[in-house]
Amino acid sequence: MKNKLLVGLTALLCLTGCQTTTSKISIDIDEVGYQWEDTDAPVIREKGAVSFDVIAPKNALADNYADMKVLNDIYDETYVKINWRNMSETSYATRKNLIMANKNEHPDAIYHAGFTDKDIIQYSSRKVIIPLDPYFDKMPNLTRILDKRPDVRKVLTAPDGHIYSLPKVEEMNLLPYPNLLFLNKVWVTDLINSGKIDFLTVADLKDGLNLTLEQYRTILTHFKANDMNGNGRDDELPLSFVYQNWQGNQSDLYAAFGIPENVDHMTLINGQVTFTATSDAWKDATNYLSGWVYEGLIDKEVFSHTQDAFLAKGKASNQRLGSFYWWESETVVTNPQDYIVLNPLIGPNGKQQIGVANNHEITRGEFVVFAKAPNPEIMLTHFDRFYDPMWSAQINYGPIGIVYEEELDANGKLVQKEIPAGLTADELRLKNAPLGLLYLSEEEWENTVNMEPRAVLRLARLAKHAVPYVIEGATPIPNITFTMTEINALATIQSDVIDYIYEQQTLWLLNGGPTDAQFNTFKTTLENIGLSQMINIYQTAYERFTA
Amino acid sequence: MVEAVKMRKRRHWRKDTIGDRIYYIFTWFILILLAAIVIYPLYFIVIASISNPDAIFNGEVYFYPLKITFDGYKRLFDEPLIWSGYLNTIIYTVFGTAFNLLLTIPAGWALSRKNLPFRRVITWFMVITMFFGGGLIPYYLLVAKLNLVDNPLSMIILGGVSVWNVFVVKSYFTENIPSELLEAAQIDGCGEFRSFWHVVLPLAKPIIAVMVLFYAVGHWNSYFDALIFLSDEKYFPLQLVLRDILITAEVTSQSGGSAETIIEQAKIANQIKYSSIIVSSIPILVFYPLVQKFFKAGFLVGSFK
Amino acid sequence: MNSAHLLEDNTSKEQLKPRKKQSNFRKNWKLLIFIIPTIVYIFIFAYLPMYGVVIAFQDFAPGDDMLSLNANWVGFANFTRFFNEFRFKQLIVNTFMLSILGFIVGFPLPIIVALLLNSLKSKKASNIFQRIFYAPHFISVVVMAGMLYLFFGEYGLVNNIVRALGGSGTSYFLKASMFRPLFIFSGNWQDFGWSSIIYLAALAGVDPHLHEAAIVDGASRVRRIWSIDLPAILPTVAVMLILSIGNLMSVGHEKVLLMQTGANISVSEIISTFVYKIGIGGGQYGYATAIGLFNSVINVVLLVIANLSTRKLTGNSIW
Repeated sequence: MKNKLLVGLTALLCLTGCQTTTSKISIDIDEVGYQWEDTDAPVIREKGAVSFDVIAPKNALADNYADMKVLNDIYDETYVKINWRNMSETSYATRKNLIMANKNEHPDAIYHAGFTDKDIIQYSSRKVIIPLDPYFDKMPNLTRILDKRPDVRKVLTAPDGHIYSLPKVEEMNLLPYPNLLFLNKVWVTDLINSGKIDFLTVADLKDGLNLTLEQYRTILTHFKANDMNGNGRDDELPLSFVYQNWQGNQSDLYAAFGIPENVDHMTLINGQVTFTATSDAWKDATNYLSGWVYEGLIDKEVFSHTQDAFLAKGKASNQRLGSFYWWESETVVTNPQDYIVLNPLIGPNGKQQIGVANNHEITRGEFVVFAKAPNPEIMLTHFDRFYDPMWSAQINYGPIGIVYEEELDANGKLVQKEIPAGLTADELRLKNAPLGLLYLSEEEWENTVNMEPRAVLRLARLAKHAVPYVIEGATPIPNITFTMTEINALATIQSDVIDYIYEQQTLWLLNGGPTDAQFNTFKTTLENIGLSQMINIYQTAYERFTA
Repeated sequence: MVEAVKMRKRRHWRKDTIGDRIYYIFTWFILILLAAIVIYPLYFIVIASISNPDAIFNGEVYFYPLKITFDGYKRLFDEPLIWSGYLNTIIYTVFGTAFNLLLTIPAGWALSRKNLPFRRVITWFMVITMFFGGGLIPYYLLVAKLNLVDNPLSMIILGGVSVWNVFVVKSYFTENIPSELLEAAQIDGCGEFRSFWHVVLPLAKPIIAVMVLFYAVGHWNSYFDALIFLSDEKYFPLQLVLRDILITAEVTSQSGGSAETIIEQAKIANQIKYSSIIVSSIPILVFYPLVQKFFKAGFLVGSFK
Repeated sequence: MNSAHLLEDNTSKEQLKPRKKQSNFRKNWKLLIFIIPTIVYIFIFAYLPMYGVVIAFQDFAPGDDMLSLNANWVGFANFTRFFNEFRFKQLIVNTFMLSILGFIVGFPLPIIVALLLNSLKSKKASNIFQRIFYAPHFISVVVMAGMLYLFFGEYGLVNNIVRALGGSGTSYFLKASMFRPLFIFSGNWQDFGWSSIIYLAALAGVDPHLHEAAIVDGASRVRRIWSIDLPAILPTVAVMLILSIGNLMSVGHEKVLLMQTGANISVSEIISTFVYKIGIGGGQYGYATAIGLFNSVINVVLLVIANLSTRKLTGNSIW
């Protein structure tokens, strides 16, 4: 028995045999009839004659890309076959490095590559991935977009002047405004009717209500003190949100004190990178809000619960949420009609102000091509089709035939089909839409596809209750690129800065805000960690970007 | 044999002392207390697996299920990969454990013998691997070179031996196989292999049972190797399938998912959270009693005859 | 019956002369065959990849050739960077405290439980208890953390009960002082049953005649446990002790991360969570490997100390 084992192991070792080194077998592009100018016609003459291996992480609920109708429809148009190699997102997160490490496993390209700036610089300098801008003349759709949008081109351009990845652009102008404040008007009505609140009448309770911090606080105090949902239990949550989440966070509470706060504590004011957490207003805000936490006006679990736990809180058998920050009410509570949207709270300086978030609507690193790929121009022309508005819409939401009707409407826009029973819109989308390379911006929303109804609703609300109140001159920091030196410096400094602030801020909000002495220590420590350096790096990179 | 029976009968007639009775009351009290602390959360998992996730989050489900729904189970069993996952896991566990035993039991035996040549060197050789490793990348490259990537064989071969377990086996043999026994066998003319096969193995049943349990459960619960080395879904073990659905909430929007899709995934993950535990652990919970049989006292009794 | 024989008795170590060694080998080479497959396996899968350790001394990107002289060698830069890390001391202390406290509570518990279970008269009851106790082992980390939030959250079951009884409740997740107790308690809750299995197996090897004889001699139950059961599992205990100490600084990151909040970072940020964050944060492979190497060295030091102490105290050691 032991002998058999030995033999088996040796046999295994012998399997190491020949290493398959992938060599580039260039195809004769004339022979296959390669064309790129006509963006509706096949790219090559014979269907399936040319194929590429593409790795693509996907989430568990999506169909295999080989089976996805959208992708097969595009194949029908271009005749270029893509051999999709899917894996789960969690698997990819671990395997990405391993794939890069194992030269034998390099694909022709990675879709949903998630390449950070560091990855791009690292691998391009090692000539593992190739620059794509030399091929842009074979990508008419993308070129059209880049000509129209020099800012997108800037986002894509690496420090060495080349472009190594393809973009994803989904501009609904929603991401910079991640918060809306919703208030339970049924509860407030109760308070008014029972005489506990005298500064409001029932008629005031509609969207766009203006309240000062103190008025709001009074309301919250009453929420806490009374059995608002009538179930005999003290389970009311006057105000809830998700602390430091990319949306539905506490930033607007801070902004009421006049600072352009977001979860990065960093934004642009008139083109200057501004850091918020070292200002006195920030100190005052923390002190003030810690009072609210102490009085139980803010759900203490904001510091520990996840997004989905928060969303469950609005769906209890008896409603518990008095007010909350999120960007819509429909997903949070079972009775959205009972909630009104408040304008930003009036701060101690008498002004209503909010900051903007740095969430990016233009991303890079979504798609990279490896040096070993033969004839990348054929593959890139194929993927160029993704930027055609009709295809972008389907890549993002799902194909004609499943999610959209065959017939366009009177304006030439896609019409949504009825959702089959038992599925939600999101589930249907997740299953049928690969997401990824697309360009959807103003023009497309106007001419090709409608935004989802909830996005439209959100836009309408933001236009009224958020956008007009942005602090003057505040703009999000765009998706700027950094040099390798900058990236290495930021790697240590930025995570330490954010971690330290996160820790201190939580501690103060929970236990009582910073004294002047504590705040000074806080600022000194941040300096020692390298805060000034970090701000300078951002400023330099930004100026390079806008030059 | 007859003597043992007589002794057992005699024990039944003997009364416990007061000290003994106090001891038993005390012991039972502690054990029941522990059992209660353990059982309640287990009970909770069962009722949570058929309750509405929102109700659970809001603390409405503690002692009995609320808004009963079988969606958690339905979604799991609708997933075709669950069934292939079960089958794969069973195959990997059975063959993997057999392979593990081959590499562990004889090695533990050899290490327990003082007369093993190079014994100290070999012990050091093994101990070092418990602390130092080259990291994931070289390991991966090696496995790739051995053509084990995307190969279900890897699930059986990788993780073939745990040095920790070898030492546990070694300790068992050192303690429980008296040298007189071996000498007796050798006098009877048995060589190394025969004495191992006929004398040692029968006595090793408890430790083999433990090793089967440890390794089998290890295989059953494992997902990491499958995560990195398997790409084809049809080879996925159960835990990997479950984990893929469960963990989607944690990963940032790498695959270009938007806010709504991430929340949708989290919702689904919450639905199957508890039912997945039940689905994946029932087989093992059934399997253990079979192994428990080998923990019978007095295995050595027969050996002296 | 010799007890504690798994460990070497070093008090009478003799230097084998080469001639004696040769004859030892010639007499006992067959015994090697039992262990050769295992050695080969370990060599292939554990030693061959070990060259990866050199990454700790490089500025490494996946795909680089680690062994070439042209690799980005940076010497000890990764290590000095770690020592200068803002949180360095915190990481070491937190990792150590979390593991030693967990060990102190979690090591004796399975032993005691095994002894108690083994002493029950009814085997059936013992079996039922066993099955209940090890069941938590199968709860995955994600679900475990979810349940902890549910039971120990601000409005969780435990706080509800406490408040109903008139108390004011505790913030288990938002107070740094509660992190370690919660983490350790839940860890022990989950593992004590499973860890007791090995001791139960060891106890199964106890000759029942010993107990019969002791009963005849009038020994009480407690006395019997003390003088028969305990010595019988002492070797197993010793092995598990030494092996556990060698793993002391290796607390995994998953559960800690799930339980980490802004309020408890000061005690919950440990080496493995830190390394994990660098890993996903920015592909700093060399840095992460250096920290891992540092961690391993500490483990080895702890193991050597543990072994030396056992040798001094009892004359036994693992080699």
